Amino acid sequence: MGFGDYPAEYNPKVHGPFDPARYYGKPDVPLAQVKLSEIGGWLGRRNKSPRAMASCISRAWWRWQHKYVQPKRAGIAPFFQLISGCMIFFYVINYPKISHHKNYKYH
Amino acid sequence: MLSRAGILSGQQCKNIVALSTRCMATTPATSTSADKPSQPAFQRPVRQQPGKVRLGFVPEEWFQFFYKKTGVTGPYAFGIGLTTYLVSKEWYVMEHEYYNGLSLLVLCIIGVKKLGPAIAKYLDKEIDEYEAGWNSGRESEKTALNAQIKEEETHQWSADGQLMLVAAKRENVALQLEAAYRQRLMNVYDEVTKRLNYQVERQNVEQRIAQKHLVSWVVKRVVSSITAEQEKQNIDKCIADLAVLAKV
Repeated sequence: MGFGDYPAEYNPKVHGPFDPARYYGKPDVPLAQVKLSEIGGWLGRRNKSPRAMASCISRAWWRWQHKYVQPKRAGIAPFFQLISGCMIFFYVINYPKISHHKNYKYH
Repeated sequence: MLSRAGILSGQQCKNIVALSTRCMATTPATSTSADKPSQPAFQRPVRQQPGKVRLGFVPEEWFQFFYKKTGVTGPYAFGIGLTTYLVSKEWYVMEHEYYNGLSLLVLCIIGVKKLGPAIAKYLDKEIDEYEAGWNSGRESEKTALNAQIKEEETHQWSADGQLMLVAAKRENVALQLEAAYRQRLMNVYDEVTKRLNYQVERQNVEQRIAQKHLVSWVVKRVVSSITAEQEKQNIDKCIADLAVLAKV
């Protein structure tokens, strides 16, 4: 599997056209259904290689796109979501500079 | 079916053997075909409806997540509480950029509320036109094919008419044949009648001529057999008869 290839588990004969938002491997229990006692094992089963993380983020991005950007009559919500995300992200990375503008010394 | 005669005949045995081998042969086939519907999880991706949001950008799922635990006001209370916490502890610092952003937010909201519906209507129209443009070729081909199908059906219908026409022509020819046959029958009848009439007429004529000849022959013989003496006696008798009559 080189750079830019399909996932190794993807088989066009079985899965049909490639869906970038779908995980083609063996699905594990969703995080929302994992019991607290099992969460250690669940985290241990995760593939934490950089490639797997990148593909996870890519799948999430495509899922978001399919839900909000790609529909036929998409609204303005994805733009606002993106702007909100950017605002939070840049606020966090700029927080060390912004914190100099605090109005009160003690809270 | 499994009668003794049938089994003894051997044909039945062959059938049973064939049936059993077929059953054995189809067993793995059915098991492999059963694998295919066991993967309904992999369906072709379909275009989704846009996800529902509140306040312009917050996903509906966020509110549904809170709804089961806190009721409808939960997410709002959480949002306000979090904001209050962040602001009061100055995790969120209200410097000049905040007011700048606030004014920008107000402008954005006004813009969305004022221009949104008109732009949405325009864009929906554009999307519909775009899709119609992509579909037009397919639709026109469909209508053309439907028209061709209809035409073909009309042709078939008229071909059926041709069958009727051929039947009518056949009937017509049969009628003509019948007419010709009857005319010939009539001809035969006429000819035969003519010949028979001729025969009758000829026989009549021959009979008449023969009679005439016989009569003339008899008359001639009778006349020739009358002698002068007989004639004289006759005349005398006549005169005597006249005298008797004159006396009366």
